[in-house]
Amino acid sequence: MRILIAEDEDDMLDVLEAYLTLSGYETVTAKNGAEALARAREGGLDAAVMDIMMPVMDGVEALKRMREEGMDVPVLLLTAKAEVRDRVAGLDAGADDYLTKPFAMEELLARLRSLIRRGTPGTPDTVRLEEMTLDIRQGILKCVNSIALVGRETELLALLMRSTDREISEKEILSRIWRDFAGADGETLKLYVRYINGKLSSVGARFRVERRPGGMRLCREAEK
Amino acid sequence: MDRGIYGPYADKLDAVLDIVIGAVKACGDSAAGPHGERRYEHIEGRVKTGESMRLKLERRGLEATAENALTAVYDAVGVRVVCRFIDDVYLMADLIARHPGIRAVERKDYIARAKENGYRSYHMIVEADTPFPGPVGGGAFYAEVQLRTIAMDTWAALEHEITYKRELSRRDLIWEELKRCADELAACDVSMQAIRDMIRESGERTDG
Repeated sequence: MRILIAEDEDDMLDVLEAYLTLSGYETVTAKNGAEALARAREGGLDAAVMDIMMPVMDGVEALKRMREEGMDVPVLLLTAKAEVRDRVAGLDAGADDYLTKPFAMEELLARLRSLIRRGTPGTPDTVRLEEMTLDIRQGILKCVNSIALVGRETELLALLMRSTDREISEKEILSRIWRDFAGADGETLKLYVRYINGKLSSVGARFRVERRPGGMRLCREAEK
Repeated sequence: MDRGIYGPYADKLDAVLDIVIGAVKACGDSAAGPHGERRYEHIEGRVKTGESMRLKLERRGLEATAENALTAVYDAVGVRVVCRFIDDVYLMADLIARHPGIRAVERKDYIARAKENGYRSYHMIVEADTPFPGPVGGGAFYAEVQLRTIAMDTWAALEHEITYKRELSRRDLIWEELKRCADELAACDVSMQAIRDMIRESGERTDG
């Protein structure tokens, strides 16, 4: 389980990192909102703990951008202020839970466990993109025809269908979908892109995955 | 065999079938793969029995004449080409349509647009030239050519069995499962085509 900790106070960051590591989590750290966003873009996170008050970009802004970019990782916000307005802004920006400082570490761990257990709330079972529908639970892609997808094909296509506005790097895909499985590399992705393109063509969809040096993206066929 | 419905053409139909099968074989052999592999797994053919032709005309509300049996419906002579890969299906279809003495008059691509129940196959109605006086004009006879992969063929065999089985408990469940199976087989066909393409591409560099 990989958790992002975004916190600008060194002492607090050290304590959080130590506790989470001790509890068996793998941690990734950031000292401001911009760094948090960059780490989140690298993907592979199971949850994030983010302070609201941070320099460069605050936690609420970073969270808002994460949600805009389609990242659905569960986020727990930390706030020093007991202000209702802060908490409302955080929840509205897409936070799943919050804790007011000071808090007991046991409570943070319990809330984190609860967030991870619940999975990503609001993640729908189907993804739609124009005429295409991907049923994630059943692994069935439908358009003019329907076809079955297997585990990672489903995850990869769902990710691509949700992120048509940007190019996704191979690194992000390997980390999010193959979870850095050592045997997977660029050649693995190349084959999976062939599988997915073959299946898109087989169901009569007009989208294709395009591979570029920077990464890959789902494009309309005409855009080629 | 009762082929009375085919009138004066009845004793020519086996020869017409041989001509079409011969043309299909020639197409497949002319386009062998880089290592000499055939483009088709097997070819089968049949002349529709007089009884099923009569039933078919009846269903369509047509009079049971030789003329109707050979020009109002097109599958008195039927040939099935079973291939290993999807690309081979399309390649064979193109070659057959361009073969001397064969003209494709209609194509139905149920691979690109599968039937509701999951049936996938490429159907082509062709006009084949023969040395006999044919019902179409000149020496031409109609024939239906169905092309599909081994997976699609196996699926169609099951579908045929269900369709013609009168007593069947849980027919709805079986149809539902058969539809799911069609989607999985289609996935397999696509994956195997992708793997073959990848092997071929890397082979091009090393084969010399």
